Amino acid sequence: MDKKNKRAAMQLAVARILVYAVIIFLCFLCLFFFVMLFVNSSRTNNQLQRGFTLIPGGHFFFNMKNAFTDSSIQIPRGMINSFIVAAGAAVCTTYFSALTAYGLYVYNFRLKKIAYTFIIAVMMIPTQVSAVGFVQLAYKYGLNNKLWVLIVPSIAAPAVFFYMYQYLKATLPIDIVEASRIDGSSEFATFNRIVLPIMKPAMAVQMIFSFVAAWNNYFLPALLLTKAEKKTVPIMIAQLRSADYSKFDMGKVYMLILLAILPVIVVYVFLSKSIIKGVTSGSVKG
Amino acid sequence: MAEVRLKDVMKIYPPVDTKKHNVKHLEVTEKGVVAVQQFNIDIQDKEFIVLVGPSGCGKTTTLRMIAGLEEISEGELYIDGELVNAVAPKDRDIAMVFQSYALYPHMTVFDNMAYSLKIKHVPKDEIKRRVEEAAEILDITKYLQRKPKALSGGQRQRVAIGRAIVRNPKVLLMDEPLSNLDAKLRNQMRAELLKLQNRIQTTIVYVTHDQVEAMTLGDRIVVMKDAYIQQIGTPQEVFNHPANTFVAGFIGTPQMNFFEGELLREGNDYSVKYKDYVVKLSENKAKRLAENHVESQSITFGVRPDQMRVGEEGLTAVVEVSEMMGTSSHLHTKIDGQDVIVIVPTNGDDASEMEEIKVSFSGKMVHVFSKEDGRNLEFSV
Repeated sequence: MDKKNKRAAMQLAVARILVYAVIIFLCFLCLFFFVMLFVNSSRTNNQLQRGFTLIPGGHFFFNMKNAFTDSSIQIPRGMINSFIVAAGAAVCTTYFSALTAYGLYVYNFRLKKIAYTFIIAVMMIPTQVSAVGFVQLAYKYGLNNKLWVLIVPSIAAPAVFFYMYQYLKATLPIDIVEASRIDGSSEFATFNRIVLPIMKPAMAVQMIFSFVAAWNNYFLPALLLTKAEKKTVPIMIAQLRSADYSKFDMGKVYMLILLAILPVIVVYVFLSKSIIKGVTSGSVKG
Repeated sequence: MAEVRLKDVMKIYPPVDTKKHNVKHLEVTEKGVVAVQQFNIDIQDKEFIVLVGPSGCGKTTTLRMIAGLEEISEGELYIDGELVNAVAPKDRDIAMVFQSYALYPHMTVFDNMAYSLKIKHVPKDEIKRRVEEAAEILDITKYLQRKPKALSGGQRQRVAIGRAIVRNPKVLLMDEPLSNLDAKLRNQMRAELLKLQNRIQTTIVYVTHDQVEAMTLGDRIVVMKDAYIQQIGTPQEVFNHPANTFVAGFIGTPQMNFFEGELLREGNDYSVKYKDYVVKLSENKAKRLAENHVESQSITFGVRPDQMRVGEEGLTAVVEVSEMMGTSSHLHTKIDGQDVIVIVPTNGDDASEMEEIKVSFSGKMVHVFSKEDGRNLEFSV
């Protein structure tokens, strides 16, 4: 009996060690690159050329000064541009996706099923394919180098729409919409004053995700933004990396990457609780 | 002042939906499934009308058509003399209490009740006064700053009613408002609804499947079945003079006992016969039957369980189960293999299981129905 118990305890311990090992490995994968980024941003280009180390160098502020004084890029301007595009895209994506989802969920009309299928089908088309036409269109009408051109297309976000639709299905009883109509509220007022607040957790999580996606977006901005004062941060990073041999400074590049991910880290640290809540809520009725 | 008039109102759902839903009991025409058939009623100002019937009979659909949440397929609906078929719910000046309460979860009780007034741009102090007044009536003043999820079922129910009455609507619609409450609370709220109606003096249309609620609350009751109105009348009329076997069986608990028998006419005297048992009908009943020229024929007749007497003579019944209800007992018996319920006072006849008893009934309390279509023969078509 005693032997059996011991064996069971052993097995449990081994299983636990295995689980911890996997989790530690995953944590390492997640955090390693952030640590390396921080370490590298404090080393000079010369030190970086010599190879890889985990010990931070002493040139953090030296790199920062270099980055900010580089005449080919304007970091504060880039940050502001990135923020305008990311915030605008986040607001547009979530609001209009919620509105579309609400429309398809609450109203009954003849083409409802077709509209739903069409939106879901759009998800299958890669951005790169539709971008070709979009970029041509933008240049034809002289809309390149305009930030709002990057914001407007974010209104159409099938994946966010799908998430909002599922969330509405799980959380919004039609009775509430009808109660609001009988209370004398117009259809838009019902959406803005009753439905949007109920969707707050879903809105928050999608806003964070789309903000980060737009902040990190390189593909479309790189094709459309050519003027220095309109560039966003990812383009500036690319520009530093592709600088010619005489100016090339890896320390500066790492510093800029660190600055670029800072807002994202801040968002996650402060909103992680509501992100988790938003990701899980809607899946279970409660 | 707000009368509600429904004239030949019909609801027809498109045929595509029939596959999904169970509509066997409804008529299917070329246009689709008829959920409500020619609904005609004049609802008086300040009247309390109850629509009652089994599920799927069209009562909620009718209510939703009055609310404007469901389109009227055919017919006309007038509120306060004005044709409102094409008027949006928000412009009909009606209020509705939903079965699920449908409170706005992110707003406090105060904001829930104030929402309709805020939309109408009623001044703030006026809103405050009216919400507090309604809260006072419903005894929810303490909860005004709470969110709905911090309230019990009964309290949520009060808030839902409060949200409806705060606007002084022309018509107040209620869709099974008590069905989510437990039995004790339901009885209590029922009494409070009666008091409330006296206080707010507005026209109320109330939907329920519970005939006790219908009997106690309604000034008039509309009994519905399979999309058709079966009978409209005061609770007394519906109970004492049911229009057909359905109404007779639906209103009253336990259900009325039905017998397949004969109606015998001798001059202006009528009697009903079941097997060898013959009961002479009362003068009033005989008079009405004679007026309708009803002759001797096979009939279905009904007697309510509380009108059955246990005594020395009558039909032989075998008691199968005796349910002690308190002041009375319900005896579930079999007469010639047919289920018959008899209510007896608890102190008297103590019938135990499988005992044979004799039951009789008086000719005053027999309801005579046509065997073919089940309508009450005392009343002309």
